[in-house]
Amino acid sequence: MPYDLQTWIKVAAFAGGGLAMGFGAIGAAIGEGYTAAQANSALARNPGSVGTIFKSMLVGQAIAESASIFALVIAMILLFSNFTATSYVTVAGLLGAGLSIGFGAIGSGVGSGFPAGAACIGMGRQPAMSGRLTTNMLIGSAVCQTPSIFALVTSFILIFSDFSKVPVNPAWAALLGAGFASGLGAIGSGIGGGVVAEASCEGIARHPASVRQVTNIMLLGQAITQTPAILGLLVSFILIFKKFTATDAIAPGMALLSAGLCMGIGAIGPGLGEGIASSGGVRWIARNPAFTGTLTRTMLVGMAVAESTAIYSMVIALVLVFVV
Amino acid sequence: MAIEGADLVKAAAYLGAGISMGLGAIGPGVGEGMAAAKACEAIGRNPQEAGLLTRTMLVGQAVSESTGIYSLVIALLLLFVV
Amino acid sequence: MHELGKIHQLIISLGSYDLTFNLETIIMTWIVCGLLITFGFLASRKKGILPGPFQVIGELFVAQFFTLTEDALDKKLARTYGPLICALFMFLVLSNWLGMLPHLEEPTKDLNTPLSLGLMGFVIAHYTGMRSKGVKAYIKEYFEPIFFMMPLNLIGELAKVVSISFRLFGNIMGGSIIILVVSYLTYSIILPPFLNAFFGLFVGAIQAFVFTMLTLVYISVQVK
Repeated sequence: MPYDLQTWIKVAAFAGGGLAMGFGAIGAAIGEGYTAAQANSALARNPGSVGTIFKSMLVGQAIAESASIFALVIAMILLFSNFTATSYVTVAGLLGAGLSIGFGAIGSGVGSGFPAGAACIGMGRQPAMSGRLTTNMLIGSAVCQTPSIFALVTSFILIFSDFSKVPVNPAWAALLGAGFASGLGAIGSGIGGGVVAEASCEGIARHPASVRQVTNIMLLGQAITQTPAILGLLVSFILIFKKFTATDAIAPGMALLSAGLCMGIGAIGPGLGEGIASSGGVRWIARNPAFTGTLTRTMLVGMAVAESTAIYSMVIALVLVFVV
Repeated sequence: MAIEGADLVKAAAYLGAGISMGLGAIGPGVGEGMAAAKACEAIGRNPQEAGLLTRTMLVGQAVSESTGIYSLVIALLLLFVV
Repeated sequence: MHELGKIHQLIISLGSYDLTFNLETIIMTWIVCGLLITFGFLASRKKGILPGPFQVIGELFVAQFFTLTEDALDKKLARTYGPLICALFMFLVLSNWLGMLPHLEEPTKDLNTPLSLGLMGFVIAHYTGMRSKGVKAYIKEYFEPIFFMMPLNLIGELAKVVSISFRLFGNIMGGSIIILVVSYLTYSIILPPFLNAFFGLFVGAIQAFVFTMLTLVYISVQVK
């Protein structure tokens, strides 16, 4: 039974909305659960500071939730807007938008839970440092949200751009690929950024005198941990904005979809690995702040090497888009 | 739209190349990160040996990256040879 | 969005070969070189116990990177490679920052610049390896742990050039494309200065440092 274009667009919008909220709920739930667990174990150690720990748990959970709220916004837009499109490309665009924010919210949700949990544990240990710990946790979890914001930007572009003039055949795959690239690409960086912030909260609680170095190096480490997500965003921008020639063959479309998948999946491991590397650096700078310079240098080199597989993925993705 | 055999083979090769490099990048990325974290720990404990430890870290990372390079080679073979 | 991927090229035909010049990259590279030479001249013109502002900045760079080189190599080799490392960093950081000025582009945005610098580092590192270990020991390393690993070891070495140059290229080009697209989407309101500060100043400096450190580390791995 044939369906008309409007039906397909409704199907894509509803399916995209479901994917966005379904995947988008994973990360925040894990992150918030982790925070609550850490807060409980901190309270078991130090029931006296229940006020500060309870407050910081709630604040941390509220930040961890924001990635999920982005997914909710996109799902709402997809469910309640009236899309009057003239091309089948919009179907792929709406699905891609849902996939992008759905996957993109996983990493930031999980990641933001880590610093909040470490801050709760730290307040249990060092109630005097509560103020500094809260500030550090807020900065750290806010930076963790960046990858999900990248995914949100891609979703908005995919929903609101006008694709009526682009050729249907390769473009459907390009838009789906763009969703995969920025969505999957955000997972690793989100979790990695959280691991770094966790190490810094733990370090400040252990050695309060090192707070200045630790916060600075945490920001440096988190910023570099974002690189795989930025490469994912770059590939998805190229896929969205490049002009393609119409074709009947299936291979060019598959190449574009594969470029998106390659960059998206390939960014997960390096993002996580860079986060782990940087967390090692931050943790030991907190214990041994006199050697901040040496540790930062080794950390940077280690992170740069851990990033190289993401760069190979980008090379393959660019070859798939521009060469074959 | 009729799909020809050669077209389908090309499409599968492209998809395979992307998935090969994508999945192959996960393990080395995480593993190299762990190596770097441990190197930082060792330097934190014993900062005098920073040069030696950094070099050891790089050699270990180069070895753990080799599976990523195999994926790269397979992806390039799928793209240009098959 | 038609600016994406548009390059000003000068093509000279020599028989059956075409020599292609990316004019923008060449001119921007010359601007960076000119600025650096002027800076070097100003910094070393009046050397004194009481340094002027340029000399202070110059000494800061030189001292910092000589210490880094001495940490990675030994004192004797540091005298050979220190100037290279220092100059590499100053060139890269200025190149990455150049794009923040209107009408100017980063020379590192063109893959040719990072790739040639990466190849330069590769050649220098392997020449150093041959000189310090001897050609025989150098070649023998490729056949470890077993002889048939040779092609993979070779690809592994070449992949270092790919990763070091694409890392710089991807970050700088990615930053500038993201700034372009986001400025276009938000009609250049509010966001562009912050994006420029992050991608231009911060990422530019970090990537210049990472590129320099990796070149230094590749050399030091070959020595020992």
